[in-house]
Amino acid sequence: MNVLGVSYGYHDASACLVVDGRVVAASAEERFTRQKHDSNFPTYAIEYVLDAGSLSPADLDQVVFHEDPHVKFARVLTTVLAPFPTSRLEFVNSLKSWLGKKLWSLNQLSSRLDVEPDKIGYLSHHFSHAVQAFMGSGFRESAILIVDAVGDWSSSALYRGEWKDGKPVVRRLVEIAFPNSLGLVYSAFTAFLGFTPNDSECSTMALGGFGKPVYADKVREIVRALDDGTYEVDQSYFNFTNFYKGAFTRRFVEAFGAPRDFREPLPFSCYGEGPKEVTADAQRFADVAASVQRVLEERILALATELHARAPSKNLCFAGGVSLNCVANYQLLTRSPFANVFIPPDPGDGGTSVGVALYASALAGACDPDAMPYTPYVGAQFDEADDVRMLDHLDPAHVLRYLKRGLDKPSGGASWKHRTFDDRAQLSAAVAERLMSGHIVGWYQGRAELGPRALGNRSILIRPDDVRLAARLSRSVKDRAPFRPYAFSITAKDAPLVIELSAAQLRMNRWMQYAVPVAPAHAPKLAAAMHVDGTTRVQVAYEDENPAYHALLAAFGERFGLGAVLNTSFNASGYPIVSTPAEALSMFARTDMDALVLNRTLVWKE
Amino acid sequence: MVTLLHKLKIWFAVSVVWTMKGKLAEAIRGFQATEADGVWHLHRGLQRIRDPRHRAILFAHSLEEEAHAEEFAHAYQHYGEHAMKPAPYERADLYGDEEPIWKTFAYVHVGERDATHRFKLIRDTLEQGRLKESLRRIVSDEEGHVDLTHRMLVEMGASDRAIRAEVRKVRWSRLWHGWLRAGKQVVDKLATLLLSVTYFVIGPFLFVAARRRLRSRYVEFDNCRLKKLSE
Repeated sequence: MNVLGVSYGYHDASACLVVDGRVVAASAEERFTRQKHDSNFPTYAIEYVLDAGSLSPADLDQVVFHEDPHVKFARVLTTVLAPFPTSRLEFVNSLKSWLGKKLWSLNQLSSRLDVEPDKIGYLSHHFSHAVQAFMGSGFRESAILIVDAVGDWSSSALYRGEWKDGKPVVRRLVEIAFPNSLGLVYSAFTAFLGFTPNDSECSTMALGGFGKPVYADKVREIVRALDDGTYEVDQSYFNFTNFYKGAFTRRFVEAFGAPRDFREPLPFSCYGEGPKEVTADAQRFADVAASVQRVLEERILALATELHARAPSKNLCFAGGVSLNCVANYQLLTRSPFANVFIPPDPGDGGTSVGVALYASALAGACDPDAMPYTPYVGAQFDEADDVRMLDHLDPAHVLRYLKRGLDKPSGGASWKHRTFDDRAQLSAAVAERLMSGHIVGWYQGRAELGPRALGNRSILIRPDDVRLAARLSRSVKDRAPFRPYAFSITAKDAPLVIELSAAQLRMNRWMQYAVPVAPAHAPKLAAAMHVDGTTRVQVAYEDENPAYHALLAAFGERFGLGAVLNTSFNASGYPIVSTPAEALSMFARTDMDALVLNRTLVWKE
Repeated sequence: MVTLLHKLKIWFAVSVVWTMKGKLAEAIRGFQATEADGVWHLHRGLQRIRDPRHRAILFAHSLEEEAHAEEFAHAYQHYGEHAMKPAPYERADLYGDEEPIWKTFAYVHVGERDATHRFKLIRDTLEQGRLKESLRRIVSDEEGHVDLTHRMLVEMGASDRAIRAEVRKVRWSRLWHGWLRAGKQVVDKLATLLLSVTYFVIGPFLFVAARRRLRSRYVEFDNCRLKKLSE
């Protein structure tokens, strides 16, 4: 049974191939097109997953889409008509895009893949998220919480899932309708703070760490809690239906002050560089971020509590774009009535292609419920041999002419050397030595990760105690604002030393989805990878899930005393995570990275 | 005549269109996207070429284009009202795998020539400013690229005659696509007009129901099942 799951049309287009109930390959389209959050038809992702399964479209038994285009069109039409007569632009542009393309997404799938229409299926958007969260969890039964910006008609939804006679049964409990959306509220605040909505919500979350939630009461008024555990958004503060007017209204500005110009620098830093002068405005922005973050956490916890009342279980599956908020996720993990919380590796729209493919496969009886969980390492892999041979023909002087802006010369040196290791242990040791010496190392291994987190296959690594090095990494490699903290990876053996969570909860931290507090005794050793509030996103690395990366952490641990490295995604600001070795080399060439590991080859500057 | 028309078009864009709110930033975003698209095509080419020397030339070229994309992104920061979101173009290979790779370079070669010409005209028309500075840096690189891509064509074994024929084909294809784009713009304007009329005709009858619908706190219908296109 070969099932292709597909998501596209809004953001994070992706494809996934499930063969006989197993995820063979899955990837976001952005990894092939170098356009972050690429929403276009996932031509290259589909090509990749079919190649990985050695299949052609003719071999597919089913193709499943991640939303109901008809319901979504009804919502869009309603949305653009409601503000009549001030929404002509929204009406015209939405209808052009819908009548010209989006309404025919299913037919497009059929024609572009040359697959008969009766093989094309679809699920509603939030149901796609629900099965995405449940199918890979390994739970036999679970409550399911979906919190998103908007999909079809819903913005949040509660479900209950269980396996019955070898098939998944996922029942809807309640769906909160657009425009009452926590995701959209958070995005509107993100726009107010001068960041890019639908992309830089993580900046809002990070900025919140420097503020106090002094505006929380105001935000609570706007996102009012209801007695049934749900919420209602006061629409007079937002333009969710009249979007060309901007995300927020004049009333919003009266409540929170003038919005931030995106060029205005924020004087906050995670690297202990000492406080620069913090203007009243900058502090206001941090306080607003802290306030919306606080209220988001409260509303998610209330939803989870309500869900538990309606579907008592010790298990919770959580997905939707808002489940990328790792600060809120930690609250769920530690304060909700659920003992176990599962968040899939790509809980946003990109992961829905996995959910729909697994679900269709399971309905056809092709799945073993106990063999459903999948790893994030299902993306494309490339051999580096051709790229390594190319290195000897590169002119270092030419490369130096095209360094990234603001970088005069690479710290490591102008010429490049390389060595290919036959022995993995030697490679790990060599890289561990470099990390100990304060090098910035690109670590490119095997199959790419599914989802936005780099989990040791497309990562940039440094030692986790060197805050000056982290500042250099932000400035000269990542182009990352200094108020955004880094995360770290740690071996499962050492994790209990620094993170005070149970063994089961630690296992839930293997994909960097929770901002957890670090034991103060170990804070100095992890200072470069922590936020100012003493928390960090942690990846607890298990040998069975990623042996090569685990070996590196262990080798570094032998030298450092703790098997932990600062781990950030292998991409420059505004670009997706690198896919091919040539893309990795390109970033290595233009930035201040000192060394790069391409599978078994170490490249370094000298 | 063609050059004069081209100059006039550029002058109109720079002196009239780009003075309107957001238009200059939008144009720069387009330039950034074009350069980024160039990087992408070069990297696609890298996946098909095995000769290490050719790969090195291509890789170095991609670094330049990447630097240009960054330069434009930086210029956008100066003129834009919001942080730049990359233009959401649908990527597509220029040729299928069955075609020889040098054909891609014929396309890139023509693209580089046109871009250099256009950037030069824009640079010369612009008053002093951030974009003019960026273009000064970029144009000299792009001039080098025109020669480089031609050299690559020759090195990859294409004969002079084949190159000339392919360049002609590319030119015609670009003209044809330009014509299609122009046609699409006309259709787009017509669609805008038609839909605007539709809006004012149906809007008064539907907006009350739409507002009522948006006041619903919950989704009433259950849509939790696998449906088929053929249903």
